[in-house]
Amino acid sequence: MAGGETTGQQQRDFVFSCRSVSLKLPYQGGNRWILADISLDIRRGELFTIVGPSGTGKTTLIRVLGGLTPCSSGSVRINGQEITGPPEGVVIVFQDYSHALLQWRTVFLNVALGIEGRVAASELRSQVLGVLRLVGLEKNADDYPWQLSGGMQQRVQIARALAVKPAVLLMDEPFAALDAMTKASLQDELLRVKQETGCSIVFITHDIEEAVYLGDRIAVINGTPGRIERTFDVTLPKPRDQIITRQLTEFLKFRYAVHQAIGGMTRWP
Amino acid sequence: MAVRQFSGRLSWRPNIAGLVTMAICGLVWEMAIQVGVFDYQYLPAPSAIIRGAGELAASGELITATLHTLESVFLGWAIAVAAGVSFGLLLGSSPLLRRYSLATIEVLRPMPAIAFVPVALLLFGFSIQTELMVIVLPSLWPVLINTMGGLMGVHARLGEVGRTFRLSRAAILYKVFLPAATPAIMVGVRISLTLAVVLAVLAEMVGNPEGLGYAVVSQQQALRPDLMFVYVMVIGLLGLALNALLVGVVSVSFPAASAEFKGPRW
Repeated sequence: MAGGETTGQQQRDFVFSCRSVSLKLPYQGGNRWILADISLDIRRGELFTIVGPSGTGKTTLIRVLGGLTPCSSGSVRINGQEITGPPEGVVIVFQDYSHALLQWRTVFLNVALGIEGRVAASELRSQVLGVLRLVGLEKNADDYPWQLSGGMQQRVQIARALAVKPAVLLMDEPFAALDAMTKASLQDELLRVKQETGCSIVFITHDIEEAVYLGDRIAVINGTPGRIERTFDVTLPKPRDQIITRQLTEFLKFRYAVHQAIGGMTRWP
Repeated sequence: MAVRQFSGRLSWRPNIAGLVTMAICGLVWEMAIQVGVFDYQYLPAPSAIIRGAGELAASGELITATLHTLESVFLGWAIAVAAGVSFGLLLGSSPLLRRYSLATIEVLRPMPAIAFVPVALLLFGFSIQTELMVIVLPSLWPVLINTMGGLMGVHARLGEVGRTFRLSRAAILYKVFLPAATPAIMVGVRISLTLAVVLAVLAEMVGNPEGLGYAVVSQQQALRPDLMFVYVMVIGLLGLALNALLVGVVSVSFPAASAEFKGPRW
C-alpha cells in the first residue's frame, strides 16, 4: 500500500488514521455505497468536527471509527492498530439519548454501566459522582432518565461515556435534538469537559456554525456515497465564547467557507 | 404478537362500590331462593354455601384440596416459566434458531390443553405428573412468546451501547436486553399463572382425582351442591389471590420496570 502506511511518529500524533475507506451496505437485493474513499487523520487531543448534509454517511463513518460497522475496503487504524471491533478507550455518544439510556436504571446506575464490575465499589461511586459533577447532574443521581429533560438526558449519556475515562469520544449529532439554548450551553460544557479531561473528540453535526464553533479542525463530507470534500484548520482563538466568537470576522469566514464547500443551499443531491 | 407493557398494580384501598355490588348480588340470589323465584332442586342459597364452607373448613377437606391444587399450580407454573424464559431467550437472540423452530412452535401452540389429558393419563396414570403435563405444555407458550418478542423488540441502539462499552455478550444479554424485555416477559408470566390455575383444576376434574377440581366433581356426584359451590368459589378466589400476589411481588422486585411507564415523560 504505497503511501498508505503511517510512520511511528504519525502514530503518536494521530488517534485515528483512515486510508481509502469505502463502505457498502446491502440494499434492495444489491449493494449501496455509503462511504467512498475516505482518508483522514485525527490528531490526538483535538476536537475534530465532521459536517455535512444528511444522507452523506456521517453516522456510518462514526460507526466505523467506533468499531460497530466494519468497512468494506481500505483501512481504519486506531493508534496504529487495525480496528476489528469497538476499540478500548473509545466510546460513542449517540444522538437518540432516549434509546441509548437504560430507562430502568437511575442516572447513577446508567453512568456506572461501563465501569461496574471493573473497578472497586468505592472507586465506582467516586468516579460516577465525579463525572456527574462534571456535567452538573450531581443532584440527579437517583432520578430515572424519563424524569429529566432532553438536555439533561444527553448529559447523562455524556457522563456515562466520560466515566470510563475514554481517550476518544465519538459524538454522533449529540445536540441535534435539543433546543437552541440547551444546545449552546451543552456546547460550552463540552469544551470545558474536553479541557478538563484532555480526551480527543470526533463530533458529527449537520449544523455548520456548531462545527466551526466547536472544532479545532473541520472535515466537510458530502455526496452519496459520502466523500471528504475539504478539511479546515480552525484558527479561532480559545476559549470560545458563544457571543464573542460567533461575532468574529474569522468565524464568519469559516462559516462561509464551509458553506461553500458543502455547496451552499443551492445544490441538492 | 401479544406483547404489551406490564401495567398491573395493586391498590390497598378497598373498592367500596365494588363490594356493595357484590353484596347486592348475593342478597338478590339469597332472596330469590327464599321467596321461590329460583326453583331448582340443586341450586343452593348463599347462606347454605357459607354453612358448607364452615363444614369443609372444619373437617380439613378444604385445606387438603386447596394445598394439593396450589402445589400443582406452583410446580407447573414454575416449570413453564423456567422453560419459557430459557427457550424464549434462546429464540429471541438467535435468528437461526427461530428459523428452525418457529414452525414447530406454531403447530404446537394452538393445541387445546384438554387434548393432552388422555395422553398424560396413559403416560403417567393418576398422578401429579399427569397434572403437571396438562399444566406445563399450554402455559409455556405465553412466557416463551412474550420473552422472545420482548427480546426482539428491544431497540438495537441498546445493544450498541453495550458494545461501545465493550461489555461481553453475556453481560449485554444480562444487563441490557433482559431488563429491557422484563415488562414483556412479566406479561407472559402473568398470563401463564392464570392459565396454570385453570389447567390444574381441569386436570383434576378429568385426570388426577385430587385437589379442588376433583372435589367439585365428587361433590356434584354426591349431590351436595352447597359443598360443590364452596369449591367453585375457592377456585375463583385462588386465581384472584395468586394474581394479586404476583402483581405485588413484581411491583416490589422491579419497581423501575413498572415505574418506567407510570410517570409522564417530560
